[in-house]
Amino acid sequence: MISRRSFVAGGGALLVLSVRRSGHASFIPPAQQRDSSNLFAMDQAAARSVRLPAKPGASPSMSVDERDALEHRIRCQCGCTLDVFTCRTTDFSCQVSPAMHRDIMALVQGGYNAAEISDAFVRTYGEAALMAPPRTGFNIVGYVVPGIVIAIGAVVLVAVIRGMGRQRATPSGSATISDATPEEQARLDAALKDDA
Amino acid sequence: MIVVGELSLWIALLLAVWSATVSFAGGRGRRHDLIESGERATYGAFAFTALASAGLWYALFTRDFSLSYVASQISANMPNVYIFTSFWSGQAGSMLFWCVILAMFAAIAVWTNRERNRDLMPWTTGTLATVLAFFLATTAFKANPFERLDWLPVDGRGMNPQLQNPGMAVHPPNLYLGYVATTVPFAFAIGALLARRIDTDWLAAVRRWSLVSWLFLTIGITLGMWWAYVELGWGGYWAWDPVENSSFLPWLTGTAFLHSIMIQEKRGMLRKWNIILVVATFLLSILGTFITRSGIIESVHSFAQSPVGPWFAWFLAVVTAITAWLVLTRLKDLEAKAALESMVSREAAFLYNNLLLVGIAFSVLWGTFFPILSEAVRGTKITVGPPFFNTVNIPLGLLLLGLTGVGPLIAWRKASLSNLRRQFLGPVLTGLAVAGVLLALGMRNGYALTSYLLAAFVAATIVQEFAKGVGARRSLHGERLVPAFVHLVARNRRRYGGYIVHAGIVMLFAAFAGMGFKRETDTSLSAGQSLTTKDPWGAEWRFVSQGVSTNRSLNREITAVALETWRNGEYMGLIKSEKRQYFDSQRRPTFDPSTEVGIRTDARQDVYVVLAGVRDDAAEIRVAFNPLVVWVWVGSAIMAIGGLIVMWPQAERRRQAGYAAELQPAPEFAGVA
Repeated sequence: MISRRSFVAGGGALLVLSVRRSGHASFIPPAQQRDSSNLFAMDQAAARSVRLPAKPGASPSMSVDERDALEHRIRCQCGCTLDVFTCRTTDFSCQVSPAMHRDIMALVQGGYNAAEISDAFVRTYGEAALMAPPRTGFNIVGYVVPGIVIAIGAVVLVAVIRGMGRQRATPSGSATISDATPEEQARLDAALKDDA
Repeated sequence: MIVVGELSLWIALLLAVWSATVSFAGGRGRRHDLIESGERATYGAFAFTALASAGLWYALFTRDFSLSYVASQISANMPNVYIFTSFWSGQAGSMLFWCVILAMFAAIAVWTNRERNRDLMPWTTGTLATVLAFFLATTAFKANPFERLDWLPVDGRGMNPQLQNPGMAVHPPNLYLGYVATTVPFAFAIGALLARRIDTDWLAAVRRWSLVSWLFLTIGITLGMWWAYVELGWGGYWAWDPVENSSFLPWLTGTAFLHSIMIQEKRGMLRKWNIILVVATFLLSILGTFITRSGIIESVHSFAQSPVGPWFAWFLAVVTAITAWLVLTRLKDLEAKAALESMVSREAAFLYNNLLLVGIAFSVLWGTFFPILSEAVRGTKITVGPPFFNTVNIPLGLLLLGLTGVGPLIAWRKASLSNLRRQFLGPVLTGLAVAGVLLALGMRNGYALTSYLLAAFVAATIVQEFAKGVGARRSLHGERLVPAFVHLVARNRRRYGGYIVHAGIVMLFAAFAGMGFKRETDTSLSAGQSLTTKDPWGAEWRFVSQGVSTNRSLNREITAVALETWRNGEYMGLIKSEKRQYFDSQRRPTFDPSTEVGIRTDARQDVYVVLAGVRDDAAEIRVAFNPLVVWVWVGSAIMAIGGLIVMWPQAERRRQAGYAAELQPAPEFAGVA
């Protein structure tokens, strides 16, 4: 068994070493510092061109409301985690969402529909261009697993409840509170009577 | 003072290690001297952690830029209120803040149990001290706020402007109080498992702490939502961001525990499950901290990538392994003392409620980590944003809302058909009537209709319960309406406080559904130009720009646009939105410009105006109509009030009386009492 004296002595040595060890940090000028607070740093160079040649005889493929709805499904790449519409109408200092907006407008003018525009953005930025993964391939796992897990939980729950019910129905299991102490039994009855 | 603070941090670490060592040793050897020494060391650890905190605050208020943390968090020209809050605005300071809260809670838990639960306390104290030692060690070795710079800068970097908001002064402390409070029930659960005293005694000890945690998490999450809504300017209050999710996870499992604990108290059932929920709530709060501090998942809120991540990962793994071993080796002690009798009973309803709460927690956790899984499996980065979480969680949330109405009304043990008819006929008809009226008025959004149907149903069950209780008191005691209501709640705070919480939940769901009808438009307005648009209620709004103005304040330059507003021709006042560029004492810009949103609130909607920027003297603005938002804040406040009522101490003698109705015992139990 460690004694108090040896514990404190060992701890004291650790303390001295650690205080010396903590030493000095190198200073990074304020303008170059990575944010040490808990808000993101914007990547202003994240925009890439998503342009396609206009379709022959192209006319705008959707209304402004439909275009805004599409922009709500495409993610700004500056790091804000917002969609293009929300970012560009919230933060004018972001240069990424306006660039993506211009690309979307050009594609709309070029006669491309929402699915084609989404695909064009996925080809350029990857699936991270979308606010939610498309329901294809491995992504389906993402959508169905929570439901499957809850369904399994529900099946197990029902099985357990039914099992308990059957246990109660048998003579040996008829005293469902047989292993409760008399005090617990009395408390149970009082509580149940009390809290209907 | 700063040196004293740094030394205090190390001394607190030593005391926490000492407390853990001698508490476990004392518990194992039944040595009272060691047990008492461990408890005294816990008090000491709190005192020295508080001293370390005082040292950091001193460094911040004296603007000692020789400390890396001070130089990175504040600038000389910042207002003192944000100098105060900068204690927790960065990684290292917030770690110390976590430590001081944990040390305080540990000291309170030890103090309040100095004459109770003595068999558990050595193990509980040891567990608390172990967790405290981990956090102090992580702070001291990996995120030390007392780390010094090589040279003395003229000024510091200043605080991110979006954190210079009253919401940020109160949101993190509340959230941390909620997170950290989960440690105490966890410590009692581990104590009960180690001491093999897994009866109902430990439940009594943890129930109030679980409520404390739930209450602070509720307040903290709400304040975070409010801050995001008024400060970030994107127009909503919940974005399913990983850091938001990480605060929601322990809230969900904590809520599940507060329901299932009732079944263990009343029926001696779910003993394994309750242990698992307590442990899961603690682990999820640590997981949330890991997500926030490791940089493992992309988030707008997370701290920069830092060396504390691996420490938290190891801690999580070790605690999970130890807890699993403890539970598995004590399964026999955790056998239920009663059996469920029916799938249509209050016990079963609480189990369904637990299934949904834990199921939602799983789906949120799954969605949060799915990008990592996807990248590992396919090598492709994906985004799992609000559309995914809404698809998965809205149906589960609606089911949960329905159960909120079912659970409290259904009979214990086994509900009869007559019981179901008597309790549910009115609420079901109310729900259907509300849905019918909304349908007739033209509402076609399926989720919103279901939300309002269920919200009306649950609200009717709550009103019915209060009406019964108040009616019984009036007839029995001849009391007037208001005194009868007050006495009813006061005499059974757990039950009626719970109903008040449920009323808050109903309001929240109604408000969430309202956002399905949000309308927004973006435009560019020069002075004198106007925008005319309609809100979701059909009213016509006109916004006339008063032009763009600029002015300077202590540490910022402000660009503002003011809009005069009319609704259906009636003047509704001025709405102003700002862009702020902060600068340090050398007048160098710090950070990107930030947004101050203009909001006009009434019971029906918020008119939400964002100045995105200025181009050629024209203000680029977004105007959004966000229906029913105020009810999110009202509903959350009602939940917090309900939580306070539930946890308010009540003498056992008084709690016996005042229930609204009595249960007819099931026939086979009729002769037991």
